[in-house]
Amino acid sequence: MSSYIEEFESKVKPKDYYDRLYDELVRLNPRLNAFNALIKPDKNGIPLSVKDNICVKGIEATASSKILKGYIPPFNATVVERVLKTKRFSIIGKTNMDEFGFGSFGINCEKPAKNPLDEERVAGGSSSGAAIATALLKYHVAIAESTGGSISAPAAFCGVVGFTPTYSVISRYGLIDYANSLDKIGFMARSADDIRVMLDITKGKDNRDSTSTDSKIVGLHHKKLVIIDELIDKVDEKIRSQFFEFVEKLKNLGYTVKNINLNEIDLSIPAYYLIAMAEASTNLAKFTGFKYGFKLNDFSKNYNEFFAEAREEFGTEAKRRVILGTFIRSASVKDKYYSKALIIRKELIDKLSKVLKDAFLISPTMPIMPPKISEANSMSPVQNYATDILTIPPNLCGLPHISFPYSYSNGLPLSAQIVGSQFNDYGVISFVSEWEKNFEYKFKYNIGEI
Amino acid sequence: MKIGLEIHVALPTKSKLFCGCSTEQVDTPNINICPICMGFPGSKPSLNEEAIILAKSIANILNCKIRDKISFVRKVYFYPDLPKSFQITQLQESIGYEGLIIIDKGKRINIRRIQIEEDPAKIIRSEEYSLLDFNRSGIPLVEIVTEPDITSEEELTSFIFTLKARLYYLGIDIDREIKADLNISLGKERVEVKNVTGTKNLLEAARYEIERQTELISRGIEPTKETRSYDEKERKTKASREKESDEEYGYIYEPDLPEYNIKNYSIRENVDPIEKAKELAEKHAYNPKIILEAIAFDRYALDLIERNEEKYNFNSLMQAIMEIKRFKIDNIDDLSLKMLLEEIEGGFQIDKDTISSIIKHEKVKHSDFSQEGIDNGIREFIEKNPDILRRYIKNKKLADYVAGEIIKRYKAKPKEVLKRTIEILNSMTGQK
Amino acid sequence: MEDKEFDRLLKISRIKLSEEEKQRIQNDIEGILRYFDSVDKFNEAKIKPAFHPIRIEGHPRGDKIEKFEDKDSLLSNTKTYRGFIIGPRI
Repeated sequence: MSSYIEEFESKVKPKDYYDRLYDELVRLNPRLNAFNALIKPDKNGIPLSVKDNICVKGIEATASSKILKGYIPPFNATVVERVLKTKRFSIIGKTNMDEFGFGSFGINCEKPAKNPLDEERVAGGSSSGAAIATALLKYHVAIAESTGGSISAPAAFCGVVGFTPTYSVISRYGLIDYANSLDKIGFMARSADDIRVMLDITKGKDNRDSTSTDSKIVGLHHKKLVIIDELIDKVDEKIRSQFFEFVEKLKNLGYTVKNINLNEIDLSIPAYYLIAMAEASTNLAKFTGFKYGFKLNDFSKNYNEFFAEAREEFGTEAKRRVILGTFIRSASVKDKYYSKALIIRKELIDKLSKVLKDAFLISPTMPIMPPKISEANSMSPVQNYATDILTIPPNLCGLPHISFPYSYSNGLPLSAQIVGSQFNDYGVISFVSEWEKNFEYKFKYNIGEI
Repeated sequence: MKIGLEIHVALPTKSKLFCGCSTEQVDTPNINICPICMGFPGSKPSLNEEAIILAKSIANILNCKIRDKISFVRKVYFYPDLPKSFQITQLQESIGYEGLIIIDKGKRINIRRIQIEEDPAKIIRSEEYSLLDFNRSGIPLVEIVTEPDITSEEELTSFIFTLKARLYYLGIDIDREIKADLNISLGKERVEVKNVTGTKNLLEAARYEIERQTELISRGIEPTKETRSYDEKERKTKASREKESDEEYGYIYEPDLPEYNIKNYSIRENVDPIEKAKELAEKHAYNPKIILEAIAFDRYALDLIERNEEKYNFNSLMQAIMEIKRFKIDNIDDLSLKMLLEEIEGGFQIDKDTISSIIKHEKVKHSDFSQEGIDNGIREFIEKNPDILRRYIKNKKLADYVAGEIIKRYKAKPKEVLKRTIEILNSMTGQK
Repeated sequence: MEDKEFDRLLKISRIKLSEEEKQRIQNDIEGILRYFDSVDKFNEAKIKPAFHPIRIEGHPRGDKIEKFEDKDSLLSNTKTYRGFIIGPRI
């Protein structure tokens, strides 16, 4: 299968296509909690879902947080504008997520998301709804977002393709920030070709986002693959063996595989969280209960009490990160944590770019199979953070990466992640295009099939 | 006594620092607003290059070292007028540092740094809530931080005057209130008086605070280190209500903005009115203070002087400038100026009618009263006010008053009228 | 982390916690900070910090006025009084 977008556009849609799509999703949503909002589109485009931290003008954007309930953005995110401008897409809904992006399982929100392949298990996060929607709908693309692995993780757990571009390639204007030096808007779809179409439409400098660039994006399809031993060691035994079988298949396709050591890679998780939480604590400071979203109507309180009371609308993980982030930024410890993290980031970028000059990094996307929701709820924060070990390095370093299924086990997908050097976005997409030539995706649902 | 200042000056750009909203001052609240200056989630800043040019020019005026690369930080604190709950400002990589300015009597005031930052919104206090106007939010500011080198009220006045005069020539609108934090220590500890608006209040706050601290010290009490605010109505500084010492700004690098290489941004050409006044004074043997007063906040006056200093007698020219200011003439053409100077050099009184004639290029009507006519006028006046003679005996200055009345009435040449008035009064009172 | 310090953090970040939440989060934070302490192992003084993952050249915009057309949509998200936005008292 090359492009579902092309296939959809070539088919004649029945008159009630969108109504039936909408009805089916309305029926399923209470079970899976994929969408925060479902919209009946009035145009004949490819169904498009947008993660609820990306602004669509006139449609509520909550980032799955109670403190943003009722926020109606007065503008479109640049990525949304560029997509809508083509007149080829119809927005069908805003997808559920971990509050503000804080989570890897999709359960840190009012309505925890469920994995469509096994409803007792997590869908992955933080772009949980985007992955579920992609796993449900035959013809659809999702605009999603990743800070530490929020596209890869849910894509991996739901068995779809999830692409995160090089930092700065897609404008972040209109994205409700988690961590500005780490956030990237990306996509999920059922094929690499569809990802390529979305990247073509949305890439490039945006004057409204001062960190976006027009750097040339290349498509170097390397035949050399590198496995970092420190990372593969952290993967579940069962997944590891299946992953190695996959690697053998790749060798038969002409790839060479090399193992290397990179002992600083373990520092990537704490470095990532230090930067992410520090930045997040400043981004969440604007939510004070009176300009937009949740409004506290109790004006008997003075501003300090008022703000503290309004900010009770944050979920526990959000509170935790704001408190920690504030601590990390305080003068007494700044050099110890935040400054160190920035240096570690530089070191890892330098080391990885050397490795990736003529190769891709390959690993399983996640070190574990999607846990049951009850298990996930009982994990400690540190255990939670540790599940990001495979997705954090490319996210911390702003490298383009893509997750895709390579096998299935007991109805659940096994996914791998390919990482390229900065701006080799088309390169990692090509890898999956080639893989897809000989791989049969298995989808439990095909809603909207024509 | 050590006084240091942190002065915030609004930059005369067309659009705001980080968005395209107009900076124009308007009466209606919340007109020049957008998602960026209101801090809406999803919005991001976009730096205005004119702010860089102006800030660089200010740094240049203040003889600062100017960085080739600048960047910004987030200063986090919570207040209703701060839309994002952080202000985008500068810290270590501020645009200028280690500068100086020379004030009156050659005193040198060192400048620690100057930085670019955004203004918060305007907040109107009320008992029950705050009312917010975001027109002001995002206006570009430059903060000038001095070393505590000012050591007296006179020096403070001179510093403010000098700074404002230099900034005026960069287009910085002195009517747009300057906001400052004042750091004064007469004892060992530093007292900070925050958020004082306008020059008048700044000087009064300083005066009050100096008195307050002096009084404490005279009683053997060390003024405590604290933050105070200035109450305009009562003209006093007061202990601050908010405990600001607990706030921790938690600075981080502003991740929505990159580093900017500003090496190639040109500096605006600038006039130093103090130097100009000295130059002109030397050249024309004139009082530099008077020239400075005329040109410090009046670009047009300087322009007129420079264009005409070789054409006319300098004293007369300066007098003409005073008259132009007095009558608030916005624009005077060469012929009108020539006519004005003729009137001045002719010793004639300049009044509304004179001005209106020269603007229209019409011949100025002079009184064609002869000496006799004037004499009659003077005598007539004295007759109508016989009291004058008695009062003149006691106070010779009354002659000026009488002469003044005659001059007004008859539009006659002031010097001559005064001379005759004195002569007549003397003869009538039998004096010399 | 001492109670006093934790309370100060809550004050600075304007976060209120119930007693139960406080216990839990304070505990969590200690664990997380211990985990973060591992970055202290990294001791390369000569490396410059990476504020962004890529090198970005800043290009400021020209000083042009660009009106935001839909002001009502900004103000409709909040409460106003005679054109002013209402916020808590100070």
